[in-house]
Amino acid sequence: MNKTGFLYDEKYLLHDTGPYHPEVPARLEAIYNGIKDANLLSMLTLINASIADLKWIETVHEKDYIDRFKDACLAGKKIFDSPDNQICSETYDTALLAVGGILDTINLIMKNKIDNAFCAVRPPGHHAEINKAMGFCYFNNVAIAARYLQKEWNIKKVGIVDFDVHHGNGTQHIFEQDPSVFYYSIHQHPSFGYPGTGREFEKGSGPGYGFTLNSPVLPDQGDSEYKKFLEKDLFAAFETFKPEVIIVSTGFDAHVDDDMSAIRLSTEGFSWIIEKIAKMASTYSNGRLISVLEGGYSLKRLPELAKNHVEILLNS
Amino acid sequence: MFVSQSMTREVITINKDADIFEAKDKMTKHHIRHLPVVGKDNRIIGIVSDRDIRSALPCSLLKDYDTGKTREKLLEFKIKDIMRIDPFTVSLSYTIQDTLLLMQKTQVGAFPVVDKQGRIKGIVSTRDLLRSFINVLGIGEPGTLLCIIAEEKIGQLKKIVDAITEENISFGSVLVARYWDEGKRAIFPYLLTKKVGHVKRKLKKMGYTLLDPSEWDIDQISQNK
Repeated sequence: MNKTGFLYDEKYLLHDTGPYHPEVPARLEAIYNGIKDANLLSMLTLINASIADLKWIETVHEKDYIDRFKDACLAGKKIFDSPDNQICSETYDTALLAVGGILDTINLIMKNKIDNAFCAVRPPGHHAEINKAMGFCYFNNVAIAARYLQKEWNIKKVGIVDFDVHHGNGTQHIFEQDPSVFYYSIHQHPSFGYPGTGREFEKGSGPGYGFTLNSPVLPDQGDSEYKKFLEKDLFAAFETFKPEVIIVSTGFDAHVDDDMSAIRLSTEGFSWIIEKIAKMASTYSNGRLISVLEGGYSLKRLPELAKNHVEILLNS
Repeated sequence: MFVSQSMTREVITINKDADIFEAKDKMTKHHIRHLPVVGKDNRIIGIVSDRDIRSALPCSLLKDYDTGKTREKLLEFKIKDIMRIDPFTVSLSYTIQDTLLLMQKTQVGAFPVVDKQGRIKGIVSTRDLLRSFINVLGIGEPGTLLCIIAEEKIGQLKKIVDAITEENISFGSVLVARYWDEGKRAIFPYLLTKKVGHVKRKLKKMGYTLLDPSEWDIDQISQNK
């Protein structure tokens, strides 16, 4: 059995998105309870939140943007950059705590204290651009994680797999010219779903051309289409790229019961995906896999999806 | 939606006495497929397309087709020998809609835009129209497309737009199209948000049918005609 880390903290519940918002603290409680009720907590290495040093946020985001975000929260603004991004006075600190917890998790993995980890954080990150908040995201958690691995731990090649049902536009744009970070995303086709990027012809640019790969999936498709795409696109790409560490942008919103998209992935489909990614981590990355929560809004399904996710990390 | 706003203003033109290679090089250099041929006072006298050039030159698979004696022979031909005389043009007051319909009718990919005196002021090509339509569709910005089936009667669109606006959601665009069932319309609002769950439930509660956009092809009716 693996030593699997589990990053969770009640402080992540403090980011309050107000009424009629799908990205609510109850998502995280559902995830925590799913893992707790399956008696998995005692098998996991529990990790708590910590405030990230701003220098790591600045490896991805512009200083002006970070200040603007901080000021909006302190000023008691309710919205930041778009009506989608509903904030409160605690949002900035919570976002820093999310990044800090992830960086601590990376340290544990790189010091071989744990093999892999699931980081159940809020707010999510993969839509956040260098200087713009988008789609409920403020700091691009996985992008900062990738830069941290490279700068602090001298990792040369980072592979990011993003199976949130929405394309991770922020992550893609941050690394699209960078051949040292391979970004793969599978998501609902951008003509039908937010954010409208992630078409198959988006492959990176300049020296990064060929290190971005997108598999857009048409609405109403599910497990078989995902398997087909992952085998054809991701597995082949990582066999060539051989990432030293794999970061996963884990979104549970492609589930058939999640109304954020028209993708119909089953609970078993999610298990298959993470099993295969964990297998790739064993083959290429010495098992080093950091799964970071993005979306997933079905409070009914999140407990079982999170439980299965962690069980697979423990047993892979 | 006037052509004068969407056209390319800096037009690359060619003289009627230029040779074919010069036209070919200009097209390659500027990544374009049409060169208006202008005379005195920048008046349009013809147009030459990359297809005209390709027809005039020997097969590129043949060795030395653009060197030596073959080239010398080809240099004797001028643009005036291959250009289309009296090309379709559009005026500055043409709308994008006029231009689209004219393109469909004439099967021509670019029109010189001329003033009342026939002097060239710009060129409008399929590329310019594509850019305009990407703008009109709003798809340069992040958003989510919905497909709502509504009765074909006055006031439906207003109800839908109001319901969405009440949720503080901005529109990238709204397309309305005919639907299979008689008396029904398909409405495609492109909403500049990720947060569509609540508004979808609201619209369903109001009695509208929400279709998965993949179930309906916006172009299917005209194709089937």
